[in-house]
Amino acid sequence: MPAIVQLTNAVKEYPLGKLVVKAVRGVDLSIERGEFTAISGPSGSGKTTLLNLIGCVDVPTSGTVQIDGQSTSALSDRQLTDLRLHKIGFIFQSFNLINVLDVYQNVEFPLLLQGELSASDRKKRVEEMVEKVGLTTQIKQRPNELSGGQRQRVAIARALVTRPAIVLADEPTANLDSATGKAIIDLMKDLNHKEHITFIFSTHDANVTSRAGRVVRVVDGLLAQAAEHA
Amino acid sequence: MVLFTIAIRNLVQARRRSALLSLAIGLVTMLLVLMMALSAGINDNLVRSATIMSAGHINVAGFYKPTNAMSLAVVTDVGELRNIVEENTPNLDYTIDRMRGWGKLISDTGTVQTGFSGVDLADESHFLEVIQLAKESDYKDGGRDEIIGDPSQLAGGNTIMLFVNQARRLGVGVGDTLTIQTETVGGYTNTADVTVVAVARDVGLLSGFATYVPKQVLRDLYQLSPDTSGAVWVYLKDIEDADATMKHLRGVFEAKGYRLMDHEAVPFFMKFETVQGEDWTGQKIDITTWKDEVVMLTFVITAFDTVTVFLVSILVLIIAVGIMNSMWNAVRERTREIGTMRAIGMTRTRVLAMFLVEAFVLGLFATTVGATLGAATAFGLNALHINVPNDAVKAILLSDTLRMSVHVQSLFIAVGFLTLCTGLSALWPALRASRLSPVVALGHTE
Ligand SMILES: Nc1ncnc2c1ncn2[C@@H]1O[C@H](COP(=O)(O)OP(=O)(O)OP(=O)(O)O)[C@@H](O)[C@H]1O
Ligand SMILES: [Mg+2]
Repeated sequence: MPAIVQLTNAVKEYPLGKLVVKAVRGVDLSIERGEFTAISGPSGSGKTTLLNLIGCVDVPTSGTVQIDGQSTSALSDRQLTDLRLHKIGFIFQSFNLINVLDVYQNVEFPLLLQGELSASDRKKRVEEMVEKVGLTTQIKQRPNELSGGQRQRVAIARALVTRPAIVLADEPTANLDSATGKAIIDLMKDLNHKEHITFIFSTHDANVTSRAGRVVRVVDGLLAQAAEHA
Repeated sequence: MVLFTIAIRNLVQARRRSALLSLAIGLVTMLLVLMMALSAGINDNLVRSATIMSAGHINVAGFYKPTNAMSLAVVTDVGELRNIVEENTPNLDYTIDRMRGWGKLISDTGTVQTGFSGVDLADESHFLEVIQLAKESDYKDGGRDEIIGDPSQLAGGNTIMLFVNQARRLGVGVGDTLTIQTETVGGYTNTADVTVVAVARDVGLLSGFATYVPKQVLRDLYQLSPDTSGAVWVYLKDIEDADATMKHLRGVFEAKGYRLMDHEAVPFFMKFETVQGEDWTGQKIDITTWKDEVVMLTFVITAFDTVTVFLVSILVLIIAVGIMNSMWNAVRERTREIGTMRAIGMTRTRVLAMFLVEAFVLGLFATTVGATLGAATAFGLNALHINVPNDAVKAILLSDTLRMSVHVQSLFIAVGFLTLCTGLSALWPALRASRLSPVVALGHTE
């Protein structure tokens, strides 16, 4: 079975006026199903860019990114969107919930975009997921009525509700205090164990990296070393 | 469905902006509804006054030329014409025939130029119903505040019924005697003395040029035989059928061997010269609709509608800019949210739909409220029976009272049109929103 994520000499350049910024400068990376991978590195090293490439919100300037054996470069915007909708879950640094929707509706949203489940199945799935992140009593509340940790739990539920192959989290704990951040990482790890979902998250917090199954260090757009933890 | 929820909640979220836009859209809708109601009211007035005084829904009239150089606006053998009409008109309500004359009406103190309609009350059951009499005080200073006179006396004798404006100009009232002076074909002047038996309320501009006398009065003045009349006025069950039925009747008369004049949308009294210049003698039939006979007045409606279109277009443009601007703001404020939705797997089309739904919901809400208020205002104004004080405005409205006519159809037009405008105004910002790249949108900070 191919790796769920396979980057081969992936390069991402951004035009910046007359200059070209090389955000990712030739990365080879392979991530297996069920891994719990941290991408660490200093600010501006290219972590977000790397996650964008893996998350199919962006395609590489050169080299290839393969998700579940499929190269993203040749895909149309619509196909990329569909790939994201079905295979990838996103967790963001600043939660990025839809403010006008309550917890239930936020979690339900990707299922509605998929339009595949019946109303009753959807309800079951959403309630199940909300329970897993421990927000059943807050299910009718809107994001602005929740704490940061609770919001990130909603985001996790939203990312997982479609049962994606990969969940990407760009600095999921950066806007949280360390205790809450730890709880969020624990929750992710727990879900990684129980549901066998591949998690890839970026961070520059050493406490967080220490809990990862594998740490990928990025420096200046390149992988520094791949340190394996037990 | 979730797009509706998002749209409505975002509109509620941006309360101030939505309220302001709704107000603007609602007011324009209200204005449009009122203008359309007024236009329809004027049209109703025109139809009413035209079909009382100038024409039936359809007229079977014509010209008789005793010699090449003479023309009379009469039809001979009118009984036969009416038979043909009655046998061949689908949707017929009833027919009458009217004689028509033109001349001077002279009192001790004044003279007016006017038309004379020769009526046969025994033949016209509706005439007394549609004519509304005026109080004496309406046309006579110090007159009684009650209706005097009796139009049924038009059944015979040398009698006449005037409209208020004429009674005023002539300084006469019921019971007074006037002299009619007309010219015959031969160029002789004939006169007849008539007694005023009733004074009717004005019905717009046309009532300045209409009076009613028994047919015999006109026959005597013009020395015509009893089976001659001016025109057969045909009333249909639905005036909307007038055009089609006119065409149908043209075919019928042609098939029966009548000579027909080409259809021309002008009143009969403007056709004398043309007819006189033509090289034929005898009878020709001319079939027209009520509109043709008052074509010079339809310009009022056209002008009014033009003003409406102009005014509403300008306001719509202004509002469109407002909507566009507000949508821009919404897109800017929600850029990161758009990025999030795109990342999660929302297609461009759906992002576009999301913003358009928002605009349509706003538009539909605002226009519905506006149209409802507009209709309510129109009904309110009607109920007040506002008398128009200004003569020029009276002339434009073709009536003495303000009359609004709200058609359900025009409400739908106003709501539909302005909702569409709202949606279209949002199209550009919505398109821009849908074309945002998710990476850029996610990186957006505000
Ligand atoms: N859209 C863009 N246009 C131009 N340059 C960009 C763009 N996105 C990222 N960059 C540049 O690419 C490099 C890598 O950025 P990236 O955001 O991937 O780093 P990061 O590791 O996520 O940093 P941080 O820890 O601050 O989030 C930086 O130098 C950044 O300035
Ligand atoms: Mg980053």
